[in-house]
Amino acid sequence: MTASRSEVMWGQVAAHAAAHGARVSVADVCAVAVGSAQLTGAWVAAARNGEPDFAMYVTDPAGEELTELQLTLGEGPCHDVLASAAPVLAADLGDTESSRRWPAFTQEAREHGAGAVFAFPLIVGAIRAGVMGLYRRSAGPLGDSQLGDLLILADIATLLLLDSLGDRGPAAADGDGDGSWLDGQAPDLALHRAEIDQATGMLTGQLGVPIADAFVRLRAYAYCEGRRLADVAGDIVARRLRLHPDPDPDPVPDGGP
Amino acid sequence: MDADLLSDTFVELADTMVADFDVIDFLHLLADRSVALLSASAAGVMLADPRGELRVAASSNEAAGLLELFQIQNDQGPCLDCFRTGQPVTVTDLAGPGQQWPRFAAAATQSGFRTVEALPMRLRDQVIGALNLFRTDPGPHDPAELRLGQALADVATIGLLHERNVRRSDTVAEQLQGALNSRVVIEQAKGKLAERLGMDMDQAFTLLRDYARNSNQRLTDVARNFVTSATADFPPPGRTAAQASPAPRRP
Repeated sequence: MTASRSEVMWGQVAAHAAAHGARVSVADVCAVAVGSAQLTGAWVAAARNGEPDFAMYVTDPAGEELTELQLTLGEGPCHDVLASAAPVLAADLGDTESSRRWPAFTQEAREHGAGAVFAFPLIVGAIRAGVMGLYRRSAGPLGDSQLGDLLILADIATLLLLDSLGDRGPAAADGDGDGSWLDGQAPDLALHRAEIDQATGMLTGQLGVPIADAFVRLRAYAYCEGRRLADVAGDIVARRLRLHPDPDPDPVPDGGP
Repeated sequence: MDADLLSDTFVELADTMVADFDVIDFLHLLADRSVALLSASAAGVMLADPRGELRVAASSNEAAGLLELFQIQNDQGPCLDCFRTGQPVTVTDLAGPGQQWPRFAAAATQSGFRTVEALPMRLRDQVIGALNLFRTDPGPHDPAELRLGQALADVATIGLLHERNVRRSDTVAEQLQGALNSRVVIEQAKGKLAERLGMDMDQAFTLLRDYARNSNQRLTDVARNFVTSATADFPPPGRTAAQASPAPRRP
């Protein structure tokens, strides 16, 4: 059976991690993104309170400067993506559209050698994990298949960020976009189905947790049960399956503080 | 074809486009009205995602079997062919012999459908999706209805893109992803509300949509605020009594 496109992209990300003797992280996603779409550099920043916060990983110094620029200037493609919840594809920083939208950023970005900047929100509906930014020295749009690959890579980066932030899984939270709790297994990337989103919403009530945690818990359950995410979600929506909150993970001993 | 229904639909669609526009609300209205206007039993608006998937942007009803029929078409079916060729694709008897897409036909007939149509959503030389229609009766369609169906598919395309300058193909991609993500937000809200109030997804959607209209907010904004709120109270606390109570938006 031919591997799906998502499986192929995950394979490249995992292979990159293995070649460096490390667990899969957003660093590998960035590297594969640059190679796959023939770009110059990429970075991922985690979102806090709706704004891109610190850069978690960049592939080169110019990329680091571009992300810092947007934080300092408070404008730029990465800034806009979380507000619009859609990619911002600035294929030519030299055109009037870019100068109009980001007057300060466009000028400085071009001085730093960027001809095109592409920003992808790392989101699942109302769940906001961060932003992935990419740039190319030369101007020009992304090809259709390059865009598709980058969207899939953005999905992978989103899952890695969500799984690593906060105390959510068996692995300790170290916040470096490290999907260590997956034990190197491919995540279920068939994400885009209504019942998965509906089940995620339902779990906020069943588990009493915010939406991002509900999504991580749903995926963790499917993974531990060895079932497809869509099938577990279907059972939850059809009310054949309910998840329950964890018992208190840190029970206070009697008489203790 | 009901002339009053047609003109009412036209007015409603135009009204939705000029007010605080929400693309998913718009596409849902279009899918819903397509059913009555085109003598169909069910309708869906499918959008082509560059990841290589056809995704449901709106559906006339939430029955799990119907959603599955849309989703099967990622592998085989009229929408896939319609998307690839840019031409309308019709099957006038899904229960007959020699089906081109056996798995799809079996699932469709199991849900009671005998006829299917996929009408392309086109923008110049690009096909961005399809309007998918199902009927329970076999047989060919009224050509006038087919023409109206294509017009509705074209209106769906216009609605999807109308907020932005669409000369650049990048803008189309951005708009599509924005619409698809809005759909996800709304699905998450439906789930949270359905769980909270013990209702099904159709009811939850209606509640969200009616509240958005009565309080003059965009459906996606209502959905996002509800999903990210620390509580599951609905209507959300903090609105005035006048905003929370149903008030007609149009005479």
